[in-house]
Amino acid sequence: MANVLDLRRRIRSVKNTRQITKAMKMVSAARLRRAQERALLARPYAQMISSVLESLVRRTDIYNGDSGSLMHPLLVEREEKNVLVVVIAGDKGFAGAFNSNITKAAQSFINDRSALGQNIDIEPVGRKARDLVAKKYPAAVYEKKEEHYDNDLATHFEVIRHRAAPIEVTGDHASLLVKVDIDAVSEMAHSIIERYTRAEIDAVYLVYNEFKSVISQRVVVEKLLPIRKLGSHEITVAEEMSEEQKEAAAHAAATSGVSIMEPEESAIESEAKNFGTADVDYIFDQPPSRIFRHLLPKYVTTQIFHALLESVASEHAARMTAMDAATNNAGDMIDAYTLQMNRVRQAAITKEIIEIVSGAAAL
Amino acid sequence: MAENTSNSGLLTVRLVTPDRVLLDSTAEAVELPSMSGYLEALYGHAPLLAELGAGEVRLHGGASGDQKFFVAWGFVEVLPERVTILAETAMHPEEIKVDEAREELAKAERLWNEAGDDGQKYDEANAITRQAEEMIASAEGKSH
Repeated sequence: MANVLDLRRRIRSVKNTRQITKAMKMVSAARLRRAQERALLARPYAQMISSVLESLVRRTDIYNGDSGSLMHPLLVEREEKNVLVVVIAGDKGFAGAFNSNITKAAQSFINDRSALGQNIDIEPVGRKARDLVAKKYPAAVYEKKEEHYDNDLATHFEVIRHRAAPIEVTGDHASLLVKVDIDAVSEMAHSIIERYTRAEIDAVYLVYNEFKSVISQRVVVEKLLPIRKLGSHEITVAEEMSEEQKEAAAHAAATSGVSIMEPEESAIESEAKNFGTADVDYIFDQPPSRIFRHLLPKYVTTQIFHALLESVASEHAARMTAMDAATNNAGDMIDAYTLQMNRVRQAAITKEIIEIVSGAAAL
Repeated sequence: MAENTSNSGLLTVRLVTPDRVLLDSTAEAVELPSMSGYLEALYGHAPLLAELGAGEVRLHGGASGDQKFFVAWGFVEVLPERVTILAETAMHPEEIKVDEAREELAKAERLWNEAGDDGQKYDEANAITRQAEEMIASAEGKSH
């Protein structure tokens, strides 16, 4: 049996750990509040983009009058042969099952799809997502082909994809989550749109952790392209939190001063739903079809932006919960060790007394 | 609708960016940089939907006095009593970094030269040039 000194040392070490996890929990709580705020502030813009789009769809023909073809390449539906899946995980660990839940969902999606014989591209966002797929699957190879015409007066560029394996990794957005910046997201969205337009991919799915409140989150697989129904999230797979997880999250939130309620809709937000939808005849400064064309890429960008902000909030919430659980466990461990230490000490004292008493009796 | 005398005759003006609502105020008149040139909206303007180019949004009168914002790319909805501006980029003219704008200008020129026969690339280069030029003009107070 360990002696008193050993146990005392062990208790001190656990106490230190508890202090660290407690600090990490408070930091995560502060970050979570900020992330929640940010997601909230970003809502009016996203809402307005989708309401004006909806209103335009009602006013314009999305089919071309003469040929009957769709007006925009992002609306075109093709048979899903090549599928892009954007996996949004976190940058850091210590967040409980956050990263593994997402990678698990992504992996099962990839397995399902490759069983159907589809080619899959994976676009990882966040270091944890990248680390997982980069080891497993090869990177996609692109070739930029240049052709010169008319004595080099005109040049034609073409990007050609050489697919070597059924599952490949495209793009690398490891640092996107450090500061979720709309310009960087826009760049990523445009690269995806370009690939979709030149029919390199036939569908785009997002795998991320949706965040409504601390106790209401789920891992979802959402279809991003082709755009079928505007303003609605087309969720194909969702994994809800268990009651146990909810309880743990609620406890963590209560002890660090984070509200577990879903934030209420602000006045601007409810007004945002009416952006561009008033029941009047608008004067269109540019033809509606042109506005429509320019809006669709912005719509895709805001969808990804929204997913990223929610994922960041979820990551902090998961870390806060995990660190709260760690702090509690450390407390339990300290209690157990203290009890054991007291017992050992008591046993030593008892033993000494017995020795003295029996020594006295022998006299 | 303009004859509605019960109202103060002030437009509600909102400037919304992907990050946040930058401005929520009122004005007597708003100048807007539409894709096809500047337009000005007064109280009671007919409903209008326009694509936003790059340039300055200027508010005249209203609760917080005259104000200027540099904006680029987005949409604007004008209703008789409300103007809502959706802008991809929006900032105060004082926040513009002229050096960065000049770098962008140089980058746009490079893109233009490398565009080859791709029409879209030329459009992109033009868009960057326009935004950078308007940014510099706005920062120097020379925006028209």
